[in-house]
Amino acid sequence: MTGLKDSRTRGEWVLETARVLAHTGEGDLRKLVLQAPEIARRAVAGQFVQVHPMPRPLAGADPLLRRPLSFCEIRPREGIITLMYRVVGKGTRILAAARPGDELDLLGPLGHSFPDPRAGRGRLVLVGGGLGIPPLVAAAHWAREYREVEAVIGAPTRFYLAGAEELRAAGVPVTAVTEDGSEGARGLVTEPLQRLLEEGRVGEVWACGPEAMLAAVKELCAAASVPCFVSVAKHMACGFGACLGCTIPRAGAPGYLKTCQDGPVFAAEEVVLRGC
Amino acid sequence: MAAEVDLSTELFGIRFRNPVWTASGCFGYGREYAGLFPLRELGAICVKGTSLEPWEGNPGTRVTETPGGMLNAIGLQNPGVEHFLKVDWPWLQEQGATVVVNIVGRTVEEYAAVARRLEGSGVAALELNISCPNVKEGGMAFGTTPRGAAEVTAAVRKATTLPLIVKLSPNVTDVVAIARAVEDAGADGISLINTVLGMSIDIRRRKPHLGNVFGGLSGPAIKPIALRMVWQVAGAVRIPVIGIGGITTWEDAVEFLMAGARAVQVGTACFVNPRAPLEIIRGIRDFMVETGVTRVTDLVGAARPQGSLPELTGGSRENASVRSRGTAPRPHSEAAEALRQFMKDADRA
Repeated sequence: MTGLKDSRTRGEWVLETARVLAHTGEGDLRKLVLQAPEIARRAVAGQFVQVHPMPRPLAGADPLLRRPLSFCEIRPREGIITLMYRVVGKGTRILAAARPGDELDLLGPLGHSFPDPRAGRGRLVLVGGGLGIPPLVAAAHWAREYREVEAVIGAPTRFYLAGAEELRAAGVPVTAVTEDGSEGARGLVTEPLQRLLEEGRVGEVWACGPEAMLAAVKELCAAASVPCFVSVAKHMACGFGACLGCTIPRAGAPGYLKTCQDGPVFAAEEVVLRGC
Repeated sequence: MAAEVDLSTELFGIRFRNPVWTASGCFGYGREYAGLFPLRELGAICVKGTSLEPWEGNPGTRVTETPGGMLNAIGLQNPGVEHFLKVDWPWLQEQGATVVVNIVGRTVEEYAAVARRLEGSGVAALELNISCPNVKEGGMAFGTTPRGAAEVTAAVRKATTLPLIVKLSPNVTDVVAIARAVEDAGADGISLINTVLGMSIDIRRRKPHLGNVFGGLSGPAIKPIALRMVWQVAGAVRIPVIGIGGITTWEDAVEFLMAGARAVQVGTACFVNPRAPLEIIRGIRDFMVETGVTRVTDLVGAARPQGSLPELTGGSRENASVRSRGTAPRPHSEAAEALRQFMKDADRA
């Protein structure tokens, strides 16, 4: 890692059979509440699990791979984790059929967490876009114990502000924007973020969302000299560092970093993010 | 009471604890899996394709899922042979792992140089990767003609006294001709298959999913192709064949053994279930107990017509370089054999 003191967490991961406690949602959004005590005990906000859509991953062989999903909520004492996802293809359609009482096969917790909130200074601003909002819920629960935290979130429409309720329930002020104006101002998250930066009210930014959003957030933070951490999503096969499928170009040096293992949370200046 | 069964196999004069290895490119250098089980429990680990200098790999999207499988275009990203020798190999030795080093190069000279660098290191064997579909130079360019395959095999043969396995590509019209060419050029063993060249398109973006456009298909989807090729090659050469391609369950592994493979490699399955190799070893053992097979070697070629699996030559690598095709009649043509088998099966149906 670069000169920044690295306070992100990465520990041993495990294989665990989780039990579905609740599986709710409407349209193509779903929230999965799982009993997975071992993973819940080890998990830190920003890390993720690899979930297989089927209870017996190797018997069916189609779909083959697991799906990486970041923690939305982590409740270690109850042994519960929650995940949010969008039904987009074959894997998530099969996953969406899981009923309370069913078992799911998990690997986790995988990757590096957000940095320790005690390591940074000033107001922490969480910036989320669409399905990048849920991982900020776990981050908010963690960080608000130590820091002043607020959130700026955006999505194409009000419906896709996934996790907005949970974020408000975590007790952080939320500014929402939508591309169609169905909630908050019409526009992108970069606009309210820019305002906060100009007012000098931002000590640090943690962002999660589409890569073009992360690239824009990185640029704004760099211009304001505000530390920025980004949670990146890439296609991956294994999720634990073996396949080299989820690489991201390193910034300022040749070669690649592994999103699954070196990330998914990176100090923004460490990686090359593609704008749109 | 569990019966005693012997899972060990001997290939090119080396005894392996069991016939279940992990496939190159799917197991890194073992570190990612070491927290889950002791690496010494594997028959062997084929480490990530290793080159003379570090290779960065390909830009853009490198993996995408397809029905029953996945496409990859990693581009042989690896830290190079010096890093392997300094960092990974000492650690693997501490784990008590049996290690086969998969070697890659852009030129014949580079392949030979990696082999020379590994001479005397104590690794169990080399696996020559002439079948990676994802790099422009090297890789598959050597593996698609008998002459190219023989040339690089002969060059590495001269550079090493280690047992030399050559890993073949399925992206050829006659895999048997290439298998025979590398056997004649001094290979001690043949592993097959590498990935099958394929592609997929993202219809929303109107672009191929992979940055490299084409990639290598792996996983259960390719198992029938792999099994057929292992059957063909095992019937045509006198050096051990190691089966690879979509092996996901112990039943898959037993199929490859029965087709004539003397060991198998588990690849993509490790990504989905990192304990898959161990579960496969356990499954083979239980199957042997259940069916009264005491030595795993007794399963080798068990599904083949009597007499269609040639005896292995010598087996020691000393004779590999002086092995002559002239002394033993070449096993009958695989095409004739396939036809005969087809007719037999057709009769039965």
